[in-house]
Amino acid sequence: MIKTSTQNELIQYVYDELAEDVCEQLEKSLMQDDELAECCSELLLIQHLLDGVVKAPTDRSVNNIINYSRSLSLQS
Amino acid sequence: MNTTTQLSDSALVSLYIAGNENAFEQLVNRHKNKVFTTILLIVKDSYTAEDLLQDTFIKAVHTMKSGRYNEEGKFSSWICRIAHNLAIDFFRKEKRSPIITLEDGNNVFNTLSFAEDSVESLQIKEDTHARLRELIQALPQTQREVLMMRHYADMSFQEIAEATGVSINTALGRMRYALINLRKKMQKSNIVYDKNLYSE
Repeated sequence: MIKTSTQNELIQYVYDELAEDVCEQLEKSLMQDDELAECCSELLLIQHLLDGVVKAPTDRSVNNIINYSRSLSLQS
Repeated sequence: MNTTTQLSDSALVSLYIAGNENAFEQLVNRHKNKVFTTILLIVKDSYTAEDLLQDTFIKAVHTMKSGRYNEEGKFSSWICRIAHNLAIDFFRKEKRSPIITLEDGNNVFNTLSFAEDSVESLQIKEDTHARLRELIQALPQTQREVLMMRHYADMSFQEIAEATGVSINTALGRMRYALINLRKKMQKSNIVYDKNLYSE
């Protein structure tokens, strides 16, 4: 059973927010604890899947934004 | 050669405020996809998301050009917070739940790139995306909010905690439950999430 505090650290770890000293300690634990390592692996897989749903807007919208900003500059 | 491409967001904002429009173009291109996705996952409609994306950046333009931009914090978090708030406002006003459809007629989740586009992998992709969309939308609101703020809006857990008025441990707990819920439901639904199916 993984402690809640360790699970929270794991979340911070996969999102690259864990303090360096805690990070080193967690990485040591990952080498020794199969359950923790498996949990980390699953988190990374889901993270990878979530990454894939990022979608780009149309060029038209992007151009509208850029042109709007430029039009304000021309007015001032 | 575009000299702004290697600059930090903070440097680009400073250049833009000083009148460099190329810096703004760089900022837009750097953040448009995550901002758009953040909106799309809330409003569930690509046409609305396109409109709100423009509203988001227009609001940012006015804030920066009027000298009201606060340089504390990351630009990415700030712009995604604007997008998130506009999308939530829209969603609350509309109280509707349309199907996620893009201009080409595809669902928003039908956009993962697969290592092979065989008939079989395409079918798996379609099934996976359709189900994943349902699973994310079915998450409790607090979990979905943290998931989107962290994963798509690039906010730190500390920033999310402050924005939502909870402790960082609560924000972390919500994220943990969101990911665990997704994992469990994916397994229960026999959803394939083998990373070998996806190209890098």
